[in-house]
Amino acid sequence: MTDLNKITIKEAHEGLKNKSFSAHELANHSFQIAAESESVLHAHLILMQDEALKSAQDTDKRVLKGDMLGLLDGIPLSIKDNLNLKGNGTTCSSKILSNYISPYDATVVKKLRENGTIFVGKTNLDEFAMGSSTENSAYGPTSNPWDPDYVPGGSSGGSAAVVSVGSALGSLGSDTGGSIRQPASFCGVVGFKPTYGSVSRFGLIAFASSLDQVGPFARTAEDAKIIYQAISGHDPKDATSLNIERKDINEGSSARIGVVKELMGEGIADNVKVEIERVIKLLEAEGNNVTEVSLPMTKMAISIYYLIAPAECSANLARFDGVRFGLRSGGNTSYEMSENTRAEGFGDEVKRRILLGTYALSAGYYDAYYGQALKARSQVINEFSEVFKEVDYLISPSTPSTAFKFGEKTSNPLEMYMSDLCTIPANLAGIPAISIPTGVDDLGLPYSVQLMSPELTDISLLNFSSYVEKIVGFNNSPTKWRKKP
Amino acid sequence: MEEKTLKLIPTIGMETHIELKTDSKMFCSCRVEDSASPNVNLCPTCLGLPGALPVPNKRAIEMITLISVSLNCEITQKGMFHRKNYFYPDLPKNYQISQFDFPIGTGGSLQIIVDNQFSDIEIERVHMEEDTGKSVHAGGGRIDTAEYTLLDFNRSGIPLVEIVTKPVIKTAKQAVAYIEELRQLVIDVDISHAKLELGNLRFDANISVANENDNELGVKVEIKNMNSLKSLERAINHEINRQSKLLEKNERIIQETRHWDEKQEKTISMRTKEGSADYRYFSDPDIPNMNLSEEFIEEAVKGIPELPKARRERYIYLGLALDESNHIAKSKKWVRDLFEDVHIHRTNVRSAYLWTTGELLGQLRKMNVSSKPDHLNGKNFGELISLVDEDKISSSIGKEILAELIEKDLSPVEYATSNNLIQEIDEDYTIDLIVQVLDAQEEIIKRIRNGEDKLISFLVGETMKKATSSLNPALVRELIVKKIM
Amino acid sequence: MSQEFNIQEVAKLALIKLNPDEVKKLSKDLEIILSHVEALSKLKIDDSEVTIHPLGIDLTLREDEVENGLNHDESMSNAPEKQDGFFKVPPSME
Repeated sequence: MTDLNKITIKEAHEGLKNKSFSAHELANHSFQIAAESESVLHAHLILMQDEALKSAQDTDKRVLKGDMLGLLDGIPLSIKDNLNLKGNGTTCSSKILSNYISPYDATVVKKLRENGTIFVGKTNLDEFAMGSSTENSAYGPTSNPWDPDYVPGGSSGGSAAVVSVGSALGSLGSDTGGSIRQPASFCGVVGFKPTYGSVSRFGLIAFASSLDQVGPFARTAEDAKIIYQAISGHDPKDATSLNIERKDINEGSSARIGVVKELMGEGIADNVKVEIERVIKLLEAEGNNVTEVSLPMTKMAISIYYLIAPAECSANLARFDGVRFGLRSGGNTSYEMSENTRAEGFGDEVKRRILLGTYALSAGYYDAYYGQALKARSQVINEFSEVFKEVDYLISPSTPSTAFKFGEKTSNPLEMYMSDLCTIPANLAGIPAISIPTGVDDLGLPYSVQLMSPELTDISLLNFSSYVEKIVGFNNSPTKWRKKP
Repeated sequence: MEEKTLKLIPTIGMETHIELKTDSKMFCSCRVEDSASPNVNLCPTCLGLPGALPVPNKRAIEMITLISVSLNCEITQKGMFHRKNYFYPDLPKNYQISQFDFPIGTGGSLQIIVDNQFSDIEIERVHMEEDTGKSVHAGGGRIDTAEYTLLDFNRSGIPLVEIVTKPVIKTAKQAVAYIEELRQLVIDVDISHAKLELGNLRFDANISVANENDNELGVKVEIKNMNSLKSLERAINHEINRQSKLLEKNERIIQETRHWDEKQEKTISMRTKEGSADYRYFSDPDIPNMNLSEEFIEEAVKGIPELPKARRERYIYLGLALDESNHIAKSKKWVRDLFEDVHIHRTNVRSAYLWTTGELLGQLRKMNVSSKPDHLNGKNFGELISLVDEDKISSSIGKEILAELIEKDLSPVEYATSNNLIQEIDEDYTIDLIVQVLDAQEEIIKRIRNGEDKLISFLVGETMKKATSSLNPALVRELIVKKIM
Repeated sequence: MSQEFNIQEVAKLALIKLNPDEVKKLSKDLEIILSHVEALSKLKIDDSEVTIHPLGIDLTLREDEVENGLNHDESMSNAPEKQDGFFKVPPSME
């Protein structure tokens, strides 16, 4: 009997096809794990059991007819709560959307529905995807399954945690500065950020439009690839989505790898450096050519990001004004009402970023701040282009350290921003990047490695990641969450 | 105190917004419609719901290209869209997607005629943007005593072309002529219904007043809420007067926006804060840069019709006076077409003009008809006009026949002949008749010779009665007078 | 530049009402962040062509065709207050 606890999407599909188990059983298993884990983890904001079991029945009918919709038919996935799912609440973990019911589906959700995917529920995040620990959720934080005193990472903390314990076989998150890769790293799962524009943003509640991308969490790179293939593709409803042929590059042992010098020095924990070097040695043993490369603009990455992202978000979040949807506070005039609504409805980090962004765009400051950041971003893009002439993939830590404790980084905003050091560059350049778990540290918290590749090489990167996974042989599972009373 | 001898010169710039008659909105596929029911033509994008994205309308870009070329503007091939950030309840995203530093059209001009004088009004820019929703302030009588505001977003997202002139207009009359001319152009190139009463074409005026010898322009005041050409003229004159009075008293003019109050016939200050707003423009990251090809531009201006200026010049060349040419150049298309068709049928151009715009339109107006009777064309109408021009029928007979021609298709020559309306111009025959009449009217002749000129008409009438065919009354009178005196 | 930073003015532009505690805390937070990005603002960078889209693609325009969006009820479904088919808000000044 297949152990549903450790099953991958690929295996689950085979199991359903061969009738080893039913979609109903598979879904039930997810909800059972959810029932066991939610009180500790608080990873889901809502569970959609009735709808899920009904969908599972539809899958089972199709299985009998030999008519399955594809690799994701009957597979239970969870969705980050900043993606619109029609008829369901979408809160972005914010008070300002506590009562908002989506009247439409995000394109990625629509595509998953067309594939027969089962939706387990909506997962917790840092409010409006702003944060690196899920501590900024207005509905309470999510805990790290490997040790519930530790954060799961953010902003897609919930989506990472559910895959880590198995209450979903995969999930969707969003990544603007590392919000998929960083929590994937902290939770010991695979987290993939696609090439900017390869997955539609229509229906993803925008944080920073030129940086946001929807991407999958999964147990394996192959599973991540299955989800990516289902959700990617040109969308006429998203003017930034791509209609370009993908590019394929070297995979396996013939791939040339570059170690990013600037991400192996200052700011990176010693034990993380050691782990990355261990993985590099394993790759070299397989025959991969590994060299050191330099991306000097990496040092400016956090500054660039923390000007561009807040600027864009200050405009993207202007629509939350209590007029047409969401929270509405009191006020004698509509301006007063909106001023109070936004004061009450937004948390501290969101306010911080909106104010920072507003300032960066305001008269007299545009050139020095936002304008300058745009120019610097072009330099980052150029640097990556140059480096990719010499290597196929870049390797670095996903995060400067393994997971940190609750409250450890909340006193100084800059400290929290530093957690994005390794992940931000890929968002600035628009290139695909993935985090793969490699081991656990002395405290039992997962290590990971980040791989990056040129734009449009998503499939190659995912295939190469499967190769790395095999070499590394990570096979651990979190257990501490079960022991917590 | 000494009276300063100031020679104050007004400077006016006009900002016009034109609603395009596309089928769908600027950034989404919702219907463009003047609907009676509120909030029926909406989608996540034009309602500003979270997660929605804008995709620009191709036809709208074609139309703005067309109007820009018609105004002799330079076309910006590499354009982009910007976010103009400000909060207002009828602006769903609380930013308007507009164009800032790369508008589609720059430079260019529009010819106007005022008091039989041509001038070219220089255009600063032509750019693309989206319309807002509509606000209805209810409860109290005026804006500042309203109890609540109702919002309808049907209009939100409709494509708007904004055309800004350089500050080169000098009088209210010029401003009115400019709007009239622009409106005609916009109708001729078929990009807008341009009905002022429906708000398809709206305008604001920027007015400043300065001393004749000053190098700089005076403080600019924006005047809004002028809903007709009459109110435009009144508002401009009032504002020039208001500013002049202030300057004469050596008082400061505040840079602000004022509303034209039709009832009170004055401009009222609206903004509590003086100076200009900080819109924090930045390139919209949801919309990649436009790159309009030569082919696109050629396609967009294909079939551009004869523009008013060229038409005017052509009519003058044909022989009309400036004001006549201007008058008919602005008439409805069917009137112009008929006039030209008539003229081709060898009538005198002034006759063609006078009969078409004068008698024909006058008769149709009395019948409450505003369109051309189907059977009326250059051939039959021209034939009728020629009969009058050649003195074959009198002008009044001509008008009677026209009435018949309006009702049904006929040949005026045949009609006049069969009804004995053709005037006899044989002098000998006429003189014979006159002699017969005069022989019987000795008394009357004596009285005429004594000064009773009015009695000549009696003799004319007697002669006409005797005739078996129509006589030209002017000729008869002439011959009678010759005979008597 | 950071010294001139007036958070109340920025909050007005962003339409967020701040209480006195927030004014203090957020001012401090933003000054810390701004001093960090100061290094970037002083950097001399080539005035090369800046693209908004990281892959530098050109816009593909949409055909002018009408498609059904939300029906009236769907559009109004999240309205905090409505009246006669309109969204209702406290009075807004022009």
